[in-house]
Formats: sequence, structure tokens, C-alpha cells
Amino acid sequence: MIQVENLAKKFGSLRAVDGISFQVERGVLFGLLGPNGAGKTTTINVLSTLLPPDEGKVTIGGYEVRLDPAAVRRLIGIVPQEIALYQDLAARDNLLFWGRLYGLAGKDLGRRVDELLELADLHQQAKQKVETFSGGMKRRLNLVAGLVHSPEILYLDEPTVGIDAQARSRILEMIRELSNRGMTVIYTTHYLEEAEQLCDRIGVIDKGRMVALGDKEQLIDQVGDQDIIRLHLPQDAHKEFMEDFAESTDCLGVRIFRGKIEVCTVDGARMLPGIQAWLSSRNLDLQQLEVERPNLETLYLNLTGRDLRE
Amino acid sequence: MVIFSVAGKDLLRFLGDRRALVVSLALPLVLTFIMGLSFGGGLFGKSGISAIKIALVAEGIPELLRDRFTEGLEESGFFSVSWVDSNAADFLVRNGEVSAAVVLPDDFLRQALSFEEIPILIWKDPGSSLKAGIVEEVLSRGLREYQAGEAAYLGLWPEDAAAAGDSSAVDLVEKYFEGAFSTLWQSWREVENDSSWAEFQERTARIMDRQVALVEALGQPGIELEVQDKVSDQDVSQSEDINLFNYFLPTFAVFFLMFGVAGATGDFHRERKMGTLQRQLMSPLRALEFVLGKWLSASLQGSLQLMVLFLGGAILFQVNLGPDPWSLPLAIVLTCTAATGFFLLLTLLCRDEKMADNLKTIVVLISAMLGGNMVPVDSLPPWISAVGQFFFNYWANLSFSHILVSNRNIFEEPQPLLILFGATIGLLGASLIVFILRQRRGGLL
Ligand SMILES: Nc1ncnc2c1ncn2[C@@H]1O[C@H](COP(=O)(O)OP(=O)(O)O)[C@@H](O)[C@H]1O
Ligand SMILES: [Mg+2]
Repeated sequence: MIQVENLAKKFGSLRAVDGISFQVERGVLFGLLGPNGAGKTTTINVLSTLLPPDEGKVTIGGYEVRLDPAAVRRLIGIVPQEIALYQDLAARDNLLFWGRLYGLAGKDLGRRVDELLELADLHQQAKQKVETFSGGMKRRLNLVAGLVHSPEILYLDEPTVGIDAQARSRILEMIRELSNRGMTVIYTTHYLEEAEQLCDRIGVIDKGRMVALGDKEQLIDQVGDQDIIRLHLPQDAHKEFMEDFAESTDCLGVRIFRGKIEVCTVDGARMLPGIQAWLSSRNLDLQQLEVERPNLETLYLNLTGRDLRE
Repeated sequence: MVIFSVAGKDLLRFLGDRRALVVSLALPLVLTFIMGLSFGGGLFGKSGISAIKIALVAEGIPELLRDRFTEGLEESGFFSVSWVDSNAADFLVRNGEVSAAVVLPDDFLRQALSFEEIPILIWKDPGSSLKAGIVEEVLSRGLREYQAGEAAYLGLWPEDAAAAGDSSAVDLVEKYFEGAFSTLWQSWREVENDSSWAEFQERTARIMDRQVALVEALGQPGIELEVQDKVSDQDVSQSEDINLFNYFLPTFAVFFLMFGVAGATGDFHRERKMGTLQRQLMSPLRALEFVLGKWLSASLQGSLQLMVLFLGGAILFQVNLGPDPWSLPLAIVLTCTAATGFFLLLTLLCRDEKMADNLKTIVVLISAMLGGNMVPVDSLPPWISAVGQFFFNYWANLSFSHILVSNRNIFEEPQPLLILFGATIGLLGASLIVFILRQRRGGLL
């Protein structure tokens, strides 16, 4: 349904999107996960014909964005990152307007708009101006405004930013429902949990590059059968620890991250006795130690060295 | 058509914005009202509007006084004066040739010199909007000046009275005021011995009386005005009478229109910031449709604003809406389309809302200044009115002046409208090009 090949987009000298490729099959809920400034919105903007790509090829539903933008626009529905609604218009008038842009009119449009207000649970507030809405209500309206013309493909750009947990889970529910009905969805977020909970496939994007791509399980497999051992040591012992263990056969890698030693290993249980022996031979107390099964977060840490929750 | 959806949505937003409505609709009416009342048009009388013709009837009035009255009346900027006899004046009023006749009494001069209250008649058509108070003010000012002058004259140069046979007194005064200062001083010292002292005192007292009369004359209501209606056989609207609001209203309306349209076109940047612009451009809406829709909505807002103002003016101030039902609407619409094209182009050329707002405020003020919305174009130096022609409001003002003030069909002189039309097309085309260039460069994000 969606093919992106070596897409690049520059703003001046900044390569906001730097040669990314991915595919989204029909009906798949694809998550584009990355921290702020990673290039998610820029990617969405190219995929929705708002920005022409500088390099690469983007095909949506068989139409290339550069050659046939009009055809692409009819296929896609968009939920922008900001609340792109007329705050000074009533909820219903907003939806009517967005529907008209897609050539809907008359009774059909009215019926569709009522459906969407129902879906967003805003039918009671249909005649109220958007500016009187709470953050969650605005987000829900913003979402259904992208659905007026019943698009086959839906882009959601961080649709849960700035709202409380309850409002967020409601939005996620709506999206899951849409996906279950067969809609192809690209969902961008910088919340790892959202991507993990919601998406069938995930692309992790950082500094304009796709640093990992695949099903949730595949991604975790990329880190393989690894455990992470994290332990707290006095500063002066760091160097020695790293020197001693870097050569150890079980150790795949060791680094200092946020004041803690992180050891990447094939089997944590097998390595622990060795670490304990090392500690007691130097009269060091084990201040804190944890062994972690890898998840997307550790993957992300390994890939970018940055914490998504930042 | 999707253009109408874009424009309709904006119009809905405009009508839902009470503050914008007050600023763009109520404020200009209030201002017109205040200006109309307080100015009475003196400022604009000379340039924008032809003077009111009046006839003066005054038999046996010296040339000097006539000239003084004529000057006074014409100086005010309202009147052009002709001196006629009372039959002619009656005829002129009835035929609508003059707006009014001012009839001074036959013994006007005697009454003036004796500081009596002078009855003055004003004949006018009851439909004429001429204000009697203006005539009264001008006449009594002229009269007072004349009386004061006369009193001073007689008091200071009594020798002129010699012709009236008062030679002894003149001789006496001459005697006292002749020669060098020392001689004069000598005379004063010897005055007690002089037999003519009593006579001199009497003369001095008379001079004092004249001075007192002078002061009184300056402080007195010199004339009493009586207005007599004489129904004209002519249609009132055909007469030379003018309603100053016909001039003020369009001037203010266009000024406020500029602010209104400048604000309405600024919606481009607001939509950019809200993300609704981008959202529209990700829909099947094309650039052309977006630009046309924005242009249409701002033009409609402007037209609505002007129509309300003109209708309000017609109801509140009896403003003339032109000789036919289409001249004014056509001028309104073309004014608005050109104004919108102009401000849309400016908006699109600016990087962001702040820059656009600043630029547009300056441009509105400059256009208002040069195009004749602050000061009438005729009263500006010629080079400025030459520059003013490059602003759309110059041509808008011209069309409205044709229609409202001169009550002429706009097709009789279509040049201003053709220029507004041409400007609309040119500015709209330029706006579209700028929009597309911006879109290509990602300048719409
Ligand atoms: N219109 C623009 N002009 C210049 N730089 C931009 C523009 N839009 C985005 N950028 C830059 O491109 C990078 C990616 O931005 P964006 O795609 O918005 O990231 P994300 O949506 O993942 O937070 C950022 O460094 C941002 O500052
Ligand atoms: Mg973003």
C-alpha cells in the first residue's frame, strides 16, 4: 500500500529525513517511533504531498506522490500533529467543511459527520465552538476530521500529545478500532509504550535515519538472546571493571550509561557469579544490580543512546 | 464549487466574531457620525464639494460692506454669493437655482450704525439641507466687524465728520494734536486757562462713547434671523444642496475597509500557524482554489462591511446611494476585490503574521494618506495626488465620490472601475504566483 524508498528531505543544510525506506502493507498499523526532531512529521508531510521529496521515491496506493499528488490526496486521511481545526467554528461546522473539501455534500455529508461526531463521542457538543473543548475533546475531533471521506489510508502524527492518560487510552482505542476495520495506518509517536501496545510493525527513526524496522518480535530478536546486566559501582572501579570484562567470552559489550555499568551478555545468569567474584575480590559491595530481558527500549538505547522517555 | 466552501467557512467565522463585527461595522458609522457633526464640513468644503449658491438681497448697502459679506460667506467654503434684487432672489429660490436667498432690510445700514438688532430674512426651499445657523453666523460676524470698524473709525478720525459741519470741534482737536511733542505737552499744561477746554472735554467724551459702542457692538447679537420657506418647483435632489455625509461616509468606509481586509487576508498566516492551511493542502483542494477561496471570502467580508456602512449611512444620515441600484454595489464589489488582492499579495510576501501585520498597518496608513482617505486628494500637493493614483483606494474614493456626491451613474465615467477591475486581476494573479512559489519552497509550513 505504501512504499518509501530512500526518501530524503532537506531544510537548507539540515537533512531532516536522510534516506529512509519502509513499506506498509494494506491493513497494517505501522508505527514510526522516534524522539522529537527525528523527522517523523517531515516524513508524514512528504507522504501526504505537502512537501516534495528531495530524493527517493514514495508510492501510495500505486500513485507516486511527486507525479500524481491529487490521486494520493484522495486516498489518504490526515490527522496532523497540531489541532488543525477552526477553533472559532462549531465541531460540526468543522467536519462539514473538511468533508466538502473531499467533494462530499448534502445528506451524505450530514450523515457522515453525525457518524463521526458519534465516534468521537462529541455529538452532544456538536454545536459548540472548538475553542470551548478540552484537550482530549479537541484531539478526538482532530482525529475524526481526518476520517470524513472514509480514507483507505490514515496518517496520525502524534495524536496523543498533550493529553491525560484517560483521554489518551480513548484515542488509542479509536485507532485500534479503525485498524481492525481494515484501515492502513501510519502512526507516529515518541511514546514507546504506544508503539509497543498499538502497532503491528514499527520503524524506529532517529536523526532522519531508520535505525530499526520490523515486527515488534523481530525487533527484539535483533537484540537476540541478550540480557542486560546493569550495576552500580563506585566511579574509580569503572575503568578496571570494563577492562577486565571486555575480554570475557560471555560479554557482548560493556559501557557506562548514566553512571551505571551496562553489560550486554548472551546469558545473564551465567555471568553473574563471575561479577560477584570480581566484586568480593576487591572488597566492593554490590550496591545495585539488575538483569533485564531486552525490550524495545533497550533496543532503542542500544541504537541511539537516547532514552525515549526524555 | 469547493471555492465557495472555503469562502463560506471563513464568512461563517467572520460573522461569529463579534469583536470583528463591531470594529468593521459599527465603528465607521460612529466615526462618520461624530465627524459629520463636529466638522460641519468646513475642512472639506473647498476641495471635495461645490459651494452652496446663495443670493443676497440688499438695497442701499455700500460696496465696501457688500464685499465684506461676500468675502465672509465665501471664505467659509460653503457659499458662492450673488447680489440680486428681491424679485430675482424669489425667482432663483423657486427654481432651485440657489439654495437660499438672504434678504437684508432696506435701512440695514442705519440699523447697523445705530447698533440695533437687524431683522434678516432667509428664503429657502424647505427640502434644502442648508443650515440657517451657518448663514447667521457668517452674517453676524461680518456685521459686527463692520460696526466695530465704523465706531472705531468715527472715534479716531473725527475730522472726517467735518463734512457734517462740526468744524469747530475738528479745529480744536487738530489744535491739540498738532506740532511736536513739546508743543503738545505745553498745550496740556495750559489747558486750564484755555476757554475751549469745555469743548475739548465734550469731544473727548464723545470719542469715549464711540469706544464703548465699539465694545458693545462686538459683544452683541447683531442680527435676528427669520427663515421663510419658499417651496421650489424643482426636485430637491436636483438642487445644489449637499449632504456632507455623502463625502465623509465613503472616506471612512474605505479606510476601515482597508483595515478589515488587511485583517481578513492575515488569516493566511493564522491558518498556517493553526495547521489548517497545511491540512487543506493535503486534501484534494488545489492551490488555485485555496487562493481564490481566501480572496473571495475577504472580498465578501469587505463588501458586506461596505454595504452595511452605506445602508446605515442612508438610514442614519440620509446618505445618497446613487442614481441607480447598480452603480454603488458595483463600485463596492470592485473596491473590495482590488483591496483583497492588494492585501493578500502583501500577506503572502511576508514571512509570518507579525511581519505581515506591521507591513500592512504601515501600508494602510500610507495609502489612506496618499489616496485621499485622510485628507481630500484635491488639497494635497499635485505630486502626492500623482503618487496616490497608484493606490487602489484613490480609485475607490473617486468612484464613490462620483456616485454619492455627484450622484452620477458610474458607467458615465467608468475609468475608476476599470482600473479597480484591472488591479483585481493583476493582484490576484500575482498572489497566486507567490503562493505557488512559496509552496514549492516549503514556505507554507
Ligand atoms: N519547515 C522546516 N524548516 C526547517 N527545518 C525544519 C522544518 N520542519 C522541520 N524542520 C527540522 O527538521 C527536523 C525534523 O523535524 P520533524 O520532522 O518535525 O521531527 P519530528 O516530527 O520527528 O519531531 C528537525 O530538526 C526540525 O527542526
Ligand atoms: Mg513532529
